[in-house]
Amino acid sequence: MPEAEARRNRVFLVVVDDSAERAVALKYACLRAKKSGGRVALLRVLEPAGQTEWAGVGALLAQERREQAEQLLSGLAAQVNEITGGVPLLIIREGDPREELLKLLAEEKTISILVLAAAPGNGGPGPLIAALTGRYATRMRVPMTIVPAGLSAEELDRVT
Amino acid sequence: MQVYLPIAEMSVDAFLLVGIGFGVGWLSGLFGVGGGFLLTPALLLLGIPAPVAVASGANQVLGASTSGMIAQSRRGNVDWVMGAVLVAGGLVGSVIGIQLFAFLRGAGLVDAVVSIFYVVVLGSVGSLMMMESLRAIMRRRAEAPARLHQHFWMHGLPFKIRFRKSRLFISVIPPLLVGAGIGLLSAIMGVGGGFMLVPAMIYLLGIPTAVVIGTSLFQVVCVTSAVTIMSAWQLGSVDIVLTLLLLGGGVAGAQFGAQMGGRLRGEETRALLGLLVLSVAAMLFWGLIDTPERVFNMGPG
Repeated sequence: MPEAEARRNRVFLVVVDDSAERAVALKYACLRAKKSGGRVALLRVLEPAGQTEWAGVGALLAQERREQAEQLLSGLAAQVNEITGGVPLLIIREGDPREELLKLLAEEKTISILVLAAAPGNGGPGPLIAALTGRYATRMRVPMTIVPAGLSAEELDRVT
Repeated sequence: MQVYLPIAEMSVDAFLLVGIGFGVGWLSGLFGVGGGFLLTPALLLLGIPAPVAVASGANQVLGASTSGMIAQSRRGNVDWVMGAVLVAGGLVGSVIGIQLFAFLRGAGLVDAVVSIFYVVVLGSVGSLMMMESLRAIMRRRAEAPARLHQHFWMHGLPFKIRFRKSRLFISVIPPLLVGAGIGLLSAIMGVGGGFMLVPAMIYLLGIPTAVVIGTSLFQVVCVTSAVTIMSAWQLGSVDIVLTLLLLGGGVAGAQFGAQMGGRLRGEETRALLGLLVLSVAAMLFWGLIDTPERVFNMGPG
C-alpha cells in the first residue's frame, strides 16, 4: 500500500464519555487527522438497561439511551466535519466501557491509534487511562496517545 | 434458637428470621426490586402481627433502595425538584395510610385489609407482568410502547412548574397524586411501590427514563423512612430485634443475588418475577378464603 493511502486510511479513535476532557481528545484527534491525514472514529458505550420490573420500561430505557447517544454523536460529528472536512465513523456499543473498547480494538483492524485525554486535578487521569496503562495494558492492540487536559487551542495546534 | 420479639410479642426461631431476610434480600438483588412485597407476606405467614410485618417490610425496602439511590444521584440521574413533589405527595399519602391503619387496628380488621390490598394489587401487577413478558418471549423482543405525546386533560391543570432535569413543564397536581397513591400503598402494604411508581412516572407524567430510576428511588427512600418512623411513633410497631435479624440476612442475600442477577437477565427473569408476584397474591388469597383454625379472633382492648 502506498504511504499516502495508508495515511489517509488510518483511524484515530476517540472515546466519547461524559467527561469534560473528551473535548480535548476530540480536538487533538481532529487536528492530527487534518494535518497528517486520517479519519476520526467516535465510540460511545451505552450503559446496559439492566433489570427493570417491566419489559416495556426496559425497552423504552434502551431506546431513549440510544437516541440520546445518536444525537450526541451527530453533534460531535458536525464538529469533526468542520475541522477535518471528513465524516467520522460513529460507533455505538452497549456494555462496560473498558471491555467494549478493548473488544472493538481487537475486532476493527482499521483503527490505528487510540486518543484519550487525562482528567485535570489530583484525582488521577481517569478510569480508562488508569486501566489501559495498568492492568489492561497487555490487552491493548494499538498505540495510545494521552493528551493532557489543560492544553489550550494554540498549544494543541502546536503539538499536532 | 428461639428469640422473643418484644414488640411483636411472640417467640420465633432466630435462624428462620435470618433465613427469611437472606431469601428476600437474595430475590430483591436478583430481580432488582425492593422486596417489601415478599417480606411483609412472609412475616404475616409466620404469624407476626400485620402492623409489625408492614413496618418491617417498609424498613427492608429502605435498606435495599438507599445504596441504589446514592449511586444514581452520583451519576446525576435524580430530578430533585420532581422528587421533592413526589415525596410531598408521598408523605401526605403515608400519613393518611398510617391513620387508616390505626383505625383498622382499632376495628380489628387490619390483617384482612392488608391481605385484600395485597391480593388486589399484586394480583393485577403480577398478571400484567406475566402477560407482558410472555408476549415479549413469543416475539423475542419487547417493544417500547408509545408515550402519551398528545395533550390530554392533565396538561390543563394549574400550578405548573418547570422540571428542568425531566425537561417538563407540567402542573404539580399529577405528580402529587401519584406520590400520594404510592405513599398510601407503602403505609398499608409495607412496600416501596416502585412497581407502580416507575410506569406512572414514565407513561403518565412523561419523565425521561434516564432520570426515572433515580428519582423513583429517591421517593421510595424518603417515603419508606417516613413510614418506618411513623409506624414506630404512632403504632409502636417497629421491632428492633426482628429488624436487626432480617437486616443481617438481607444484606448478605442482596449481595449474593445482585451478583447472580448480573448473569441472569432478560425476559425469562421477568416472567419468573411475575410468577413470584402472582404466587404471593395467591397465597394471601388462600389465607383470606380458607377457614381459619380459630374462627373467632380477639381484638385488642
